[in-house]
Amino acid sequence: MTTTRVWLSNRPWVWPFAAAVLTWLVTVYVASGRGATATLSAAALLSVFYVVVGMGQMFVIASGNGNIDLSVPYTMTLAGYLSMGYMQGQNGGLLVGILIGLICGLVVGLLNVAMIRALRMPPIIATLAVGYIAQSAATTYSHGSVAKPSPVLANYATAEVFGVPIMSITFVLVAIAVGILLARSTFGRSVLAYGQNARAAWLAGVKIQGTVTMCFVISGVFAGLAGVLIGAYAGGAALNIAIPYQLGSIAVVVLGGSSITGGKANVPGIWGAALFLTLLVNMLNAMGIGAAFRDIIQGLIIVAVLAIAGGESER
Amino acid sequence: MSMIDESRESMPTATQSATTLPSKTKARRLSGRPDWHEYLPYIALALILIAVEITVPGARSYSGFALLLSASTAAILAAMAQMFIITAGDIDLSLGAFVGLINVLCATQLEKNPAIAIGAMIVSLLAYVLMGVIIHARRIPSIVVTLGASFVWLGIAILVLPSPGGEAPGWLIGFFNLNPPLIPLPVVIAVAAGAFGHIFMMRTAYGVILRGMGGNAKAIRRAGWSLLRGYIALYAVAAVFGILAGVAVTGLTTAGDANVSLDYTLLTIASVILGGGEFTGGKAAPFGTVIGAITMSLAGSLLVFLQLSPDYQLGVQGLILILVLAARSTGKRKEA
Repeated sequence: MTTTRVWLSNRPWVWPFAAAVLTWLVTVYVASGRGATATLSAAALLSVFYVVVGMGQMFVIASGNGNIDLSVPYTMTLAGYLSMGYMQGQNGGLLVGILIGLICGLVVGLLNVAMIRALRMPPIIATLAVGYIAQSAATTYSHGSVAKPSPVLANYATAEVFGVPIMSITFVLVAIAVGILLARSTFGRSVLAYGQNARAAWLAGVKIQGTVTMCFVISGVFAGLAGVLIGAYAGGAALNIAIPYQLGSIAVVVLGGSSITGGKANVPGIWGAALFLTLLVNMLNAMGIGAAFRDIIQGLIIVAVLAIAGGESER
Repeated sequence: MSMIDESRESMPTATQSATTLPSKTKARRLSGRPDWHEYLPYIALALILIAVEITVPGARSYSGFALLLSASTAAILAAMAQMFIITAGDIDLSLGAFVGLINVLCATQLEKNPAIAIGAMIVSLLAYVLMGVIIHARRIPSIVVTLGASFVWLGIAILVLPSPGGEAPGWLIGFFNLNPPLIPLPVVIAVAAGAFGHIFMMRTAYGVILRGMGGNAKAIRRAGWSLLRGYIALYAVAAVFGILAGVAVTGLTTAGDANVSLDYTLLTIASVILGGGEFTGGKAAPFGTVIGAITMSLAGSLLVFLQLSPDYQLGVQGLILILVLAARSTGKRKEA
């Protein structure tokens, strides 16, 4: 009994995966068995966007000390527009277009760090303020621009092998790489150490400045990548396409078993939580529950999971 | 909550900022040297008023002034709500959605079923307080809980009123169109809101305790005060101002729209900070907040006068916030 408990507490990703399976079973039951595998493959595809932004957000949140990145959806929108705007629906602009999206994310990440560092703004406000500026820039750019993905990219974003989306396979591999980076590299360990105890990490020789900068840059670049991918999937950039990912990027991190106060991060849990969230939306759709109810239920689940998990312990 | 504030790779200590900052301000106050940062909100307001005066001649008349300021009434009330939350050391990212929910409830129910409308507002108030209780009883960052709650408020608001519509009761519209002699109504509301905040937070004994919670919660608890009860008080007062803001939005726009108030989230945070509040909590500046809210909404109106697209509204708010904090941090750096 105790060994099971220890095994579970070391593997918090079990819960979101279990929740995902449960939601999937309910969906299949509601749909009386129709489209069981199609539901799964669609969820695996839509989860990718949550996973990509979630992995970036994970590094920021894991670095603790109130760090959070609220600029994610705005970065996605701007990166999507700039990238698709360059591609113009042509394959010729593919690589440069993707690069533009990533650089856009990089710049937003660096701006976030600059605001936090130079102006001593709390990360919440800095990332929100920078994000709003990015959104205004995207809105300006969106007027009269053709923002369509290159056909190769659009094809990649929707293609499947044996019913499994290629994009999902890609980002399972990326997630494994990120997991190794987090658990085995100096950088990953520095992030977790800083998140657990800033003072102890400093005394242990962790380069705090570089570590935190890197976290925000990773989050920005992943958000930029997600913007390119979602634009490719949807057949073009759109102004409101990324809205769910502000709360969503935080939700998959928290639901996945990472600590909201930092110092503890879990990559597989992000995939589990992303699958759970997308399958949940699917299930509510199958039950004929409208968008407004979905928002309420998602919000309540996140607050409830947080309330059960609790935050920092009293020192 | 300390940020990544170790700008010179200095030793990060949790108590560092808490111990050095108050003593510095105290020393400044004792030396009697006025700090120009305290005038920052007034300087900003003056700049905006000059800009408005240049772009819109005639803004100085009674009706012009009343019209200009009327848009800021709801913003002032919402900013006061945010001020109480920021004083507690939290941030409410759900305030815009909450105001929208109240707006929608007013526009759909207040005329036909006043009892239901008032009942729903009381339930909203309790739900808002519950949000504060969850944050503090479970020690979760306010950002995430309020961000989650914003989806709940918005979802309920959209359920109540899926598309913009409804109608404000005639008496409510009439109230916001009142033209008291000499002093325009928006000014009366602004002064009343600021005075309430000032008396409650600065002049009552409990206000001192509430501010102390944001500054040093541990000390207040050791002095024998219930922190949870204090947070409940702050969230309840904030909810009341949030509700008043929702009522004001209804009276001013004469209709309901779940999405129209969403911008208030950043606007109110910016107003509080512009007005002299501190993110670390513990410092309340009620009149500064009112001035900040007026400045922020005039900045929004200015965009309209300059015939700039409302798309820039958010970006400009973000930019103002960054500029204000930049102005503050440069001055403080030199003194330190």
